[in-house]
Amino acid sequence: MNSQSDLPPQPTAASETSSFEQEIWNALRFVIDPELGVNIVDLGLIYHVQVVEREVHVVMTVTTPGCPMEHSLTFGIETAVLGIEGVTGVHVTVVHEPPWSPAMMSPEGRAATGIR
Amino acid sequence: MVSSPSSVVAPDLRPGRVTSASPSLAQAPDVTIPLRYLLTGLGALLIGVGTLVVRPELVTQYHYHQHVAAVTHLFVLGFILSIVTGATYQLAPVVLETTLHSERLARWHFPIHVISVGGMVVSFWVWDMKNVGHFGSGLALGVGFFLWNVGRTLGRARHWTLVSVGIASSLVWLAAVVVAGLVVAAAKSTYELVGRSDVFQPLAVTLAGLKATADFMARFDALAVMHAHAHLGVLGVFVLLTIAVSYKLVPMFLISEVQRPWRAWTSIVLLNLGMAAVFLAILLQSRWKPLAALLVILALGFYGTELRAIVRARRRRQLDWGLRGFLTAQLLLIPTAILGLALSWPGLTLTELVGRLENAYGFLAILGVVAFSILGMLHKILPFLVWFAAYSREVGRSKTPALHEMASPRLQAVGYAAWLAGLAVTLAGILLASTSLSRAGLVLLAAGLAFFFAQALQVLRHLVRPQLQPLPGPSRIQRASQP
Repeated sequence: MNSQSDLPPQPTAASETSSFEQEIWNALRFVIDPELGVNIVDLGLIYHVQVVEREVHVVMTVTTPGCPMEHSLTFGIETAVLGIEGVTGVHVTVVHEPPWSPAMMSPEGRAATGIR
Repeated sequence: MVSSPSSVVAPDLRPGRVTSASPSLAQAPDVTIPLRYLLTGLGALLIGVGTLVVRPELVTQYHYHQHVAAVTHLFVLGFILSIVTGATYQLAPVVLETTLHSERLARWHFPIHVISVGGMVVSFWVWDMKNVGHFGSGLALGVGFFLWNVGRTLGRARHWTLVSVGIASSLVWLAAVVVAGLVVAAAKSTYELVGRSDVFQPLAVTLAGLKATADFMARFDALAVMHAHAHLGVLGVFVLLTIAVSYKLVPMFLISEVQRPWRAWTSIVLLNLGMAAVFLAILLQSRWKPLAALLVILALGFYGTELRAIVRARRRRQLDWGLRGFLTAQLLLIPTAILGLALSWPGLTLTELVGRLENAYGFLAILGVVAFSILGMLHKILPFLVWFAAYSREVGRSKTPALHEMASPRLQAVGYAAWLAGLAVTLAGILLASTSLSRAGLVLLAAGLAFFFAQALQVLRHLVRPQLQPLPGPSRIQRASQP
């Protein structure tokens, strides 16, 4: 978890998120960035997840603007989240501000990729 | 900055199922488009290296020879241009954050490109310059399609960057080198039909124009024209394109960034200026050739300094074999530039030693710098294309392999070592005018290529036998089996 104030919030504990949201975060962990071989949550690519009347809004970034994997990742998010029972829609928005940096990765992500 | 959002709303809400609404995938071109160019390019490389193994004297004899011209064009057009074309069709829209102007045009380009290059190479081999011109015109048509398509794609770019300016300027040099090639072919052809009254009028006008071109080109030294043409292609198109693209791809792969944008911009601007100066200085056999060469070397110096800074600032410590190959190729720019500067010396007469040095210079530039760069980047591009074709619709549904899991690093390492050793030994053979040593080096290059193909086959196998695994958890496993 990154403590920088300009970073979007991520769930830190089960008590802060509903079990439904937790299931969404779990589903997002099944989306792997094939270049780095790590899931997009541990890479710190997911900036924000919001559920409004069973429709899921995901705000994410990519490691670099113009990343060739961007559309595969958004496709993967849509597929993974739509598979959760009760989800009626998925809206993925890719932003480049704030830009991604390795500081946004989880310790697990950093360990898996060897990124400092 | 926000890119276009993607939304999928499930119209049919059945619990526990993926709905029939299909999530939107990229607007990237169909991967079979770049793949066909990549496989064609690799086929040309295989034939080219195989030809040199059988005929190693082609690298030791003086290069102004029909068979050397044939093999050189096989490498430059069949291998390098094919790969560059395929990679540009796939990556330019992605890098520029837009879509390709026309997939249909890219599909039409392919048969024109293959037939034209094949025809040119055979025509060079039998030294039929008229047919070189005919097939060259076909190549020009294909390149025209390519330039139009990529040019319109560049026009859609949301903003111009260092990379897009570099790509655009290399495309300008591509147009220039194709025109220069056609002019060279026109200059070496004969025009028996000119002046005859029984010739179809439009053809007569065309032939008169070509003959006028040939008469004009007779003012220039034939070797100087050929060398100027070669520099336009290798330096203006391929080295410039490699540099421009590396400012995007190397930071992307290494999790780094351009450290001094002014330095990167300077390298691109100076290389363009240097290219123009080198072309004119060679063509006019000017005594200012060393200054033009120094301008290029200055540009390469800025590039090398910036590339080194990018690599040193990387957050991803491990360098895979693809990147090692690419970076090694960039290091080979140093001896190539030194040779180029030495050969630019004014009044240098063509002795046997100078001839060997010229051969070494050309060999190092084409199979050392450009081919090694491309092979290195293919370790990244080919798995990406195959992964995209085989797995992009499975993300989030099944466990898909990571790109580095698609081929054996050991095969890549051996291929890298063999190619590097092959370059060194062949270079020694060229400098010593030893056919047997050159053959030994070329066999090593062929071995390096064999290892490259072995790992490429491992990658391509995923198209036939995708290696999907169910995601953990009962609901995930159930979902993986559904469409």
